[in-house]
Amino acid sequence: MEPITTEIVVVGAGPGGYAAAFYAADNGKKVALVEQNPRLGGICLNVGCIPSKALLHATEIFREVKESTSRGIEFSEPKVELEKLRAWKESILEKLGQGITGLAKQRGVQVVHGRGHFEDSQTLRVETREGQKFIRYEKAVIAVGSKPAMPSAFDLGNPRIMTSTEALELPDIPPDLLVVGGGYIGMELGTVYAALGSHVVVLEALPSILTGVDADLVRPVARAAQKAFKEIRVNTKVLKMATAGKQIKVTMETDKQPREELYDRVLVSVGRAPNLADLGLENTKVTKDDKGFIHCNAQQQTEDPNIYAIGDVNGGALLAHRATKEGRIAVEAMLGEASSFDNVVIPAVVYTDPEVAWCGLTENQAKEKGIDVRIAKFLWGASGRALTLDRPDGMTKLIIEPETERILGMGIVGVSAGDLISEGVLAVEMGATSRDLADSVHPHPTLSETLMEAAESFYGTATHALSRRSPSPK
Amino acid sequence: MDVKLPQLAEGVEGGTVVNILVAEGQEIQKDQAIMELETQKAVGSIPAPSTGVVTKIHVNQGMEVSVGQVLISIESSGAAAGATAKPAQTPAASSAAPSVDSPSRPSPEATAPPSQAADGYRYESKSGAPPPASPSIRKVARDLGIDLTRVKGSEAGGRINLADVRAYIQWLQEIAGQGTAAAAAAQSGAATPATPSQVVDFSQWGPVRREKMSPLRRTVSRRMVESWTTIPKINQLDDADITALLALRKKHAATFAKKGAHLTVTSFLLLVLGRTLKKHPRANSSLDDSSLEIVYKDYCHIGVAVDTEGGLIVPILRNVDQKNLLQLSQELDSLAEKTRQRKIAIEELQGGTFTISNQGSIGGSHFTPIIYAPQVAILGVGQGRAQPVAVDGKIAIRTILPLCLAYDHRVLDGADAVRFLKDVIAGLESFDEADLKLK
Repeated sequence: MEPITTEIVVVGAGPGGYAAAFYAADNGKKVALVEQNPRLGGICLNVGCIPSKALLHATEIFREVKESTSRGIEFSEPKVELEKLRAWKESILEKLGQGITGLAKQRGVQVVHGRGHFEDSQTLRVETREGQKFIRYEKAVIAVGSKPAMPSAFDLGNPRIMTSTEALELPDIPPDLLVVGGGYIGMELGTVYAALGSHVVVLEALPSILTGVDADLVRPVARAAQKAFKEIRVNTKVLKMATAGKQIKVTMETDKQPREELYDRVLVSVGRAPNLADLGLENTKVTKDDKGFIHCNAQQQTEDPNIYAIGDVNGGALLAHRATKEGRIAVEAMLGEASSFDNVVIPAVVYTDPEVAWCGLTENQAKEKGIDVRIAKFLWGASGRALTLDRPDGMTKLIIEPETERILGMGIVGVSAGDLISEGVLAVEMGATSRDLADSVHPHPTLSETLMEAAESFYGTATHALSRRSPSPK
Repeated sequence: MDVKLPQLAEGVEGGTVVNILVAEGQEIQKDQAIMELETQKAVGSIPAPSTGVVTKIHVNQGMEVSVGQVLISIESSGAAAGATAKPAQTPAASSAAPSVDSPSRPSPEATAPPSQAADGYRYESKSGAPPPASPSIRKVARDLGIDLTRVKGSEAGGRINLADVRAYIQWLQEIAGQGTAAAAAAQSGAATPATPSQVVDFSQWGPVRREKMSPLRRTVSRRMVESWTTIPKINQLDDADITALLALRKKHAATFAKKGAHLTVTSFLLLVLGRTLKKHPRANSSLDDSSLEIVYKDYCHIGVAVDTEGGLIVPILRNVDQKNLLQLSQELDSLAEKTRQRKIAIEELQGGTFTISNQGSIGGSHFTPIIYAPQVAILGVGQGRAQPVAVDGKIAIRTILPLCLAYDHRVLDGADAVRFLKDVIAGLESFDEADLKLK
């Protein structure tokens, strides 16, 4: 069969892959986009960001209803119709997936459905339903993403032991759910199941949930989770899991103290691994690091000059928006532009309740690297908007370079932190100073004012915080 | 005021106006793009240095313009108004000690160099953060090959804006201008002053067609005149018997091809030259006229002349002496390809210590190349041809590669050159097969 010839082939149609494919096509390149899943959109759309956020939004109402009582508005106990909830979630995915397919078509991007395998540095074999297809390309972009890691000790083949992929399918509402791993995926999905009525226990091997995030940002989340979940158990390791009738018997150990418990379902969220098995990389010059992620330069180019890699396959922060940015850089590099992943600020958001978001330098990183920074904080208890939302459990902080007052990073915990952080990204990217932020008028009453007030507090003059300047003598 | 084409990057002498974005009589803002210019490397826009009204446009679309040429004239009201608005501040005080926080920048037209023109400025941050500049300014800097740690930012927190970048470029241009002016003055004393050749009307003998020299053609032309007029050059001719080498190439070409590498005579030459230059460091040196010193380089970066549609370009292979034959072949392939597609960065054309000009793939026998100053030698390579030669008293047919080492007699003597070339020939004639083994 005649091979497909193209200038650029993108393997994987996630937020990195399809964005790269579209951008290349917009720049006049002939592009093929290879995806094994019938629906485009990758992990993010199918089994990641989008379905999890849909479920988080839908289940938020439980908390609202409960809290509403104290505001003098009462509802009867809400009921869940799982099938309807699933269908609603699915309808969103379908809408978005079709949107991407339409955009690909409109740009003339050739979508090939099937599993890609590199034959050499210029040929990709695709196993499609209609048989093998070969794509001869000039440049390739690897954007195949990652999958949830499942340690072999837990992999009993029992469907009651789930990864995030299965958990997002909402098979049922288990009375007792164990979440192994207190990272962002475990905390977000734990929140969904707890809202639906499961008794959720979260295990974390390290001393804190959301490891790596600044402690003051985690604290409100931990406090809220302790209320919403049955228990958060840190310093705890799972030793063994076994099938016990319709339940899972889990043997765990906290500070050398072993114990055994029964759970109706277990969610394993202990990290993610790149989807690089059986991709044929051994037939190319692409190299991997010791953790199995692809090694590439600031132009996203791998050791094989014809092949670029973007997104989760490169390790680091596994985030959709990072993959998208890397995709654009890879395409610009192929077009011969002087593009580079040059001090790009990648924000991170954890959709717990309350949300946590940060960008640029964190306080932890500053400590680790011994960088002298000043921290300016504003607590949401003093924000009018936070109180009207009945959500004073928040905090906004700036990480500032003392000599220049330049904003190096921002961290937010509180409702809508994920939407608020973008202003921080802009500030860091633009090299803005604390004064720039303090002098930009923010609308009242909004949560965004907390950013301005945090900047003002750097000078000790935040309107709604205790002044650090002593009153002048009369 | 006249807006002139600034120096855009090192080695970029000018470009073609592809788009004029303003009209005569139009009011324009400072930093507004006035036209787009295509250079050897990229298309970039030229920003207006100040606010005002365009009184005249001196160029047309499609016109070739050089650095320093007047593009448009602006009648700027802003500068005068600004001066009267702040009578309290004396100009002397403001120019002597510009504070970091001061938002006002000296106009690029000002004759005094901008404050950042202090030599050796480097942005340093205790936090290790890069110099503060918006993503769009960082992109401009990347496009123009400007290192932002060298640019002093004028805004709060040392933030760099477009005017700062422009002032820095202007300063670079001035420095460069002073350099060439000094060199020209030094030359004119000894040599005949360069006068433009007389304009001849060729059409009096028949029809003619005129074509503007491309920026690249002009660069080649200038560099060649520079080399020809400044370097006392000797050409050392010799031949290498590459029959055995070609047999080795045939034997191993397929293995290399599997690794995506073409095994060419140039790759062999690079390996041999890397070693020979290490043995003869003087051939890898440069002459510093001003200090009367010979500069020996511990690195060995070899330029390889590449014939492109636009003309000759010489990209540089770095650290040739530290690489094996496979690496050299692969790099040569990708570098030549990049050069032909005109995707080579200006930095990749700089820093060479020696050059190979191999015409063999096109044809040609001995030729005498021109040295690529400030290097001191170049190897010209012709086509390997089957020839009858005497081997052990008998006539044999061997493949003979014509070589010419052109060298700067100020640095190298005849004996040095012969020894150097003999070592290159020996390296080719008794090439060690071990060097072809892939590890």
